[in-house]
Amino acid sequence: MRYLLGKIALFVVTLWAAVTINFLLPRMMPGSPADAAIAKLSQNGPVTPAMRAAVEAQLGVPHGSLIAQYGQYLGQIVRLDFGTSYSYFPQKVSALVSGALPWTLVLVGTVTVIAFIVGTALGALAAWKRGSWVDTFATAGSQFASAFPYFWTALLLLFFLGYVAGRFPTSGAYGDSSTPNLSAGFIGEAIAHAGLPALTILITSLGGWIIGMRNTMVNTLGEDYVTFAEANGLHPRTVALRYAARNAILPNLTSFGLVLGGVVGGSLLVETVFQYPGVGLLLFHAVTNQDYPLMQALFLMITVSVLIANFIVDVLYGVLDPRTRR
Amino acid sequence: MGTKTKARLFKAGVAVVTAAATIAVVSGCTVQTKASTSSESGSSASLLLGADNGTPTFTRNFNPFSPSTRVGTHYMYEPLQVVNSIDGKATPFLATGDTFRDPKTVDYTIRSGVKWSDGKPFTPADVLFTFDLIKKNPSLDTLGEWQHIDSISSSRNTVTFHLKGADVPAATVIDQQIIVPKHIWSSVKNPLTWTNDNPVVTGPYVLGKFAPNEYTLSKNKNYWQADKVAAKTLVLPASNTQVDIVHKGYDWAYSYISDVKGTFVAADKQHNTYWFPPGGTIALYPNLTKAPFNNLDFRRGLSYALDRDKIADDAEQGYVKAAGQTGLLLPNQNSWLNTSIPDKGAIAQDTKKALASFEKAGYTQKGGKLVDASGKQLSLTITSPNGYTDWLRGLQALQTQLKAIGIDVTLNQPQPAAYTQALNAGNFDLALGSYGGTGSTFQDFNNLLNSSFATPIGTATSANFERFKDTKTDQLLTQLKSATTTDAQKQIVDQLQQTVYDQLPAIGLFYGGLWGLFSTKDFTNWPSASNPYAPPSTWTETALLILTSIKAAS
Repeated sequence: MRYLLGKIALFVVTLWAAVTINFLLPRMMPGSPADAAIAKLSQNGPVTPAMRAAVEAQLGVPHGSLIAQYGQYLGQIVRLDFGTSYSYFPQKVSALVSGALPWTLVLVGTVTVIAFIVGTALGALAAWKRGSWVDTFATAGSQFASAFPYFWTALLLLFFLGYVAGRFPTSGAYGDSSTPNLSAGFIGEAIAHAGLPALTILITSLGGWIIGMRNTMVNTLGEDYVTFAEANGLHPRTVALRYAARNAILPNLTSFGLVLGGVVGGSLLVETVFQYPGVGLLLFHAVTNQDYPLMQALFLMITVSVLIANFIVDVLYGVLDPRTRR
Repeated sequence: MGTKTKARLFKAGVAVVTAAATIAVVSGCTVQTKASTSSESGSSASLLLGADNGTPTFTRNFNPFSPSTRVGTHYMYEPLQVVNSIDGKATPFLATGDTFRDPKTVDYTIRSGVKWSDGKPFTPADVLFTFDLIKKNPSLDTLGEWQHIDSISSSRNTVTFHLKGADVPAATVIDQQIIVPKHIWSSVKNPLTWTNDNPVVTGPYVLGKFAPNEYTLSKNKNYWQADKVAAKTLVLPASNTQVDIVHKGYDWAYSYISDVKGTFVAADKQHNTYWFPPGGTIALYPNLTKAPFNNLDFRRGLSYALDRDKIADDAEQGYVKAAGQTGLLLPNQNSWLNTSIPDKGAIAQDTKKALASFEKAGYTQKGGKLVDASGKQLSLTITSPNGYTDWLRGLQALQTQLKAIGIDVTLNQPQPAAYTQALNAGNFDLALGSYGGTGSTFQDFNNLLNSSFATPIGTATSANFERFKDTKTDQLLTQLKSATTTDAQKQIVDQLQQTVYDQLPAIGLFYGGLWGLFSTKDFTNWPSASNPYAPPSTWTETALLILTSIKAAS
């Protein structure tokens, strides 16, 4: 119980720190939202003084002292009201976030779970058959695949499968003339559009799980209790799965918890390459356009979910490993 | 025994993985057939337009006063007259013309017989209402109309603008005001945040189908010059990547594209063309409030040290030319050119002259380095926005050229917002920026030279970033405001060019291009160098000129 209370106190303090940094950081960046909007306009042509004045009048600058703004901000967080976006003016921040979140959760979430399951299974298999060609193939292959940067894999897939072979749609999350709904046709379209981004994330993230699982399991296989179980004539599959893999999976499970917490942040590079309307791309637009309200809402969402995931992993560890409880 | 079961486990594992992979591949193939290809332009009636980029999807906003309005808004609403930013010529739209009674008073004759897309008649009352609306809500006045206008009166179909002073160039600003319907907008509570989902307009197009990834505009059946509109439907997809532009068969797209001949043109040699006219001058702004940049000899030294052709080629792949030093955009404004300035204002690289000028400014070459009296090497910092890769390539060429005569050059590249802030507040030594390209010679020179913009360092300004101050130039600008004949205007513009050429308030490097890509497969008569009736820009009212000029290909 004292362990749990300690963890809760730590959670609250970290949360407060995160919320405060989230408030301060965007305000320390040079340039105002109006400057960002004008910089964007000036790429199209000269911005006249009148256009500048109008943009400044429309977007305004944050009012009041820093402390007053901070109080206002805390109040908004409690009410989950993040105001109006600057760059998507006059859209509400909450509407933008709830529009992008489902796409990211389904795409990145599903692929992360698949990558974890397949990767861990392959890792266990590689460790069990260490030295065989399965091991070589899985280890070398995954190291090769995960050494590629996300965007490079994404661009290769986009070019060859999307443009050259024409197998997959090349951008967006659904067809050009569709509006999101729950019909079978639309879901089919959405799955087809998720193909390339999903494949990219799978290829680049699978390797980590394989290597992680294989290395821990190779260690576990050398433990006395595994030798003892084998000496006792237990079924090899029982030894592999219930003795070795079960113990080896703990570190992988921890990182899985953390990765799941980060899923809400989306996958910025993949979403950018495929123009996938998820949180990552939204965050990118928010940052490049100095969109404080949108940026704060997104950063807050990401930090809070990572913190919650951390908290759950901490608590779970207390349950799984009695030594951490003291 | 152990090996046998191991083998079985392994086989099972392989089977599972293979099965999973197969399912992934098969499902990828089967669902693919459902992917739509609706954005391919097949029939000649529809025009695929690469103009509006979603972020990454479209939000529905057709409010012409909103900063994040959809680009298509500009193809639906009309201004009084459309000003071609290439040569400054005005084409009548909702007005049939304008005449100055005196330099302070201008009459606009409002076109009769025009109908709004909901069938209601368009009247001078709509014009009065619109100007009143932007007066009451200054944040809607994106053109700054009320900086020029004192009051407005009307009788029958004439609307008269009484200006604050002699201000002939104000007509260009009044021309471009978008007019909205009184019967709709008078009941709008907050005209800035209203998203105007179903716009009622006078222009050639009305909103067709709207979806987050693509919207269409349909030809307005009530349009007053419907016979001039060739495309029945405009299709605007949210994603217009460079690969899309090469592969998807756009009729009109606006995009900088590498190696245009090898990519876009090569995709359909018979039909794909491009036109990249200059849209502004990219120039080096010296901070005139600081030494040594306030020294004319120093600026001359810089100017002579540069090989502008090389800088232009490096920056824009040879798509645009080096800029002259007259302040004009050439060849767009050829008719305004001061013929007594040699070489149309082009300044050739001349190291000897450069070193002589630097010497007058107190810098001499020693051991390959340009040093000041105390022997310290001249070191310059140039501020330029991060991510503008073309500007950066130009700057790198410039850096090499200045290094060759012994000047150390550092590039400072803050994020665009921070760059804008630094430029506005005057917190720079040398900065790369752009000026001109409005089509109005008065506005171009006024923004570059008018001392009323030259605020003290630390206070933001919106023009004249180099902070040029000269009473004679200010007088010339005031005179230009009251000059009604082209001859009188030319005389003054000649003197302004001479000032820019002699004083070097900004050192012109190269022209920023407008990147128009066209296909003549379904539509012809696109603007071009030989027929520059409009710039290839997609996001301003000049697009109306193009949409009412193109013809269906036979």
